[in-house]
Amino acid sequence: MAEAPQVFEVAGGDFGGKLMVTRRTGRAVREALGDALEALPKGGVLYVDTRGVELMDYSFADEALGVLVSRVAGGEYGEKYLILVEEDRDLLENVEASLRQRSLAMMRVDEVGGEPEIVGNIPEHLSDTLRTIMDAGSITNADLAKKLGLNHTAMNNRATRLVKLGLIHRKIETAAPGGRQYTYERIA
Amino acid sequence: MSGVLTMGSLDPAFGAAMDVDGEPVTLDLRSVEFVEPAGICGLAALLEFLIPRSEEVSVRLAGRDVPAYLERMDFFRLFGDRVRTNVDVHALEERQRHNPGTLQELVNFHTEEEIPGVVTRISEILENKGYRLRERVAICSTLSEICANAAEHGSTDGGFGAFAAVQAYNHIVSGARRRGEEVLVAIADGGVGVRETLSKNEKYAEHTTTDNDAIRCAMMMGVSGTGELGRGGGLALVAQISGRASGSLSLRSGSGRVTAYHDRKNSRTVPDFPGTFVRVSLPRKLENAAPEISLG
Repeated sequence: MAEAPQVFEVAGGDFGGKLMVTRRTGRAVREALGDALEALPKGGVLYVDTRGVELMDYSFADEALGVLVSRVAGGEYGEKYLILVEEDRDLLENVEASLRQRSLAMMRVDEVGGEPEIVGNIPEHLSDTLRTIMDAGSITNADLAKKLGLNHTAMNNRATRLVKLGLIHRKIETAAPGGRQYTYERIA
Repeated sequence: MSGVLTMGSLDPAFGAAMDVDGEPVTLDLRSVEFVEPAGICGLAALLEFLIPRSEEVSVRLAGRDVPAYLERMDFFRLFGDRVRTNVDVHALEERQRHNPGTLQELVNFHTEEEIPGVVTRISEILENKGYRLRERVAICSTLSEICANAAEHGSTDGGFGAFAAVQAYNHIVSGARRRGEEVLVAIADGGVGVRETLSKNEKYAEHTTTDNDAIRCAMMMGVSGTGELGRGGGLALVAQISGRASGSLSLRSGSGRVTAYHDRKNSRTVPDFPGTFVRVSLPRKLENAAPEISLG
């Protein structure tokens, strides 16, 4: 049986209820999210549910999510992933602004199990790669390269960038003697 | 002094205050008929500057409405025993204190920690007044961002920190008086000002030649004194929020003052004065409002 997804309800904690303002509050939420990420097994996904929050100002969004996404992308938490659970509403504007300023992005779903969208900024050429991986669910580097008309090295470089941003998962398998085959998988 | 006490009307007093050196000072506000949040915050910052530099500071007011409004905005609670006034404050205190349009009386704060409490209170009042979630978010985000800036840059050792005030009006008060509703948010801090803050970041050396250049630069996304990634977004978003509402963001610091509208920015040189002053106008778009009919 699959493990229940780990969901962190931001409005449910003792941080600020429905009104999330200031970097100070953002830091407190980020530290709690960091602890939750640390507790996850390798490859685990933490769903950050902000649907109960009415107001999230830019300072809070940058400190709680912008900084955290930056640290996840920097490999600080190892192979673990963050997904925002939020509807398409005004509140996303500040998350989007923070991630764009940091040239970062994260996955967003309307609800756990929902179809993912991107919040933030990824270059156009990476968007195509991400979309193809998302559509496939799981795809080898060779098949991905074929679909997008790129050589294997260029394809691997693009997909690796998406892995580093924490937007997809990479599985390394042993292929021919001494060879390795990369498979890219969606995280949500 | 003009009939409206706002950010700009205190400019002559700011200019004169810089020359005060121990002598008694009288602020003659008898011609003032209407006080908006930027005026009361500016007055508070001016008094904080004058009180330690003057033997005695007097504030002269006329009529009943302005003293009563200042009392309701907690002005005399903060300054009553520090300045001399021709107003009988005790008589005013007996009147009902609450003003239906007041979202935040004049409040003095020093740290970021105090901001969520202020924002929560205003959000509750706005909700009770029937403001939609989107409107509350715009007003509260604006307030929290500029308060956070003031708490971060305004707290110098022994300084007064910052003052904030917020008022809702059932007509438009910015520019020509017309139909509609408007919320005015104002903050004044006693910090080092925008130019000195930005000067810490060499990247903006070319943009800190004048106070007006520095203010214009500070309104852009991602511009901050620390240069830290992710910083410097709050003010730019406040300008976007006010612009979208057809309002404005005015910032006064040093000898510069810039007002940003949705499609342009106006700058003017003003008398040099320490600190930073922010005024945000957020007109309210009324749903189901009857169209105005001109009979002219």
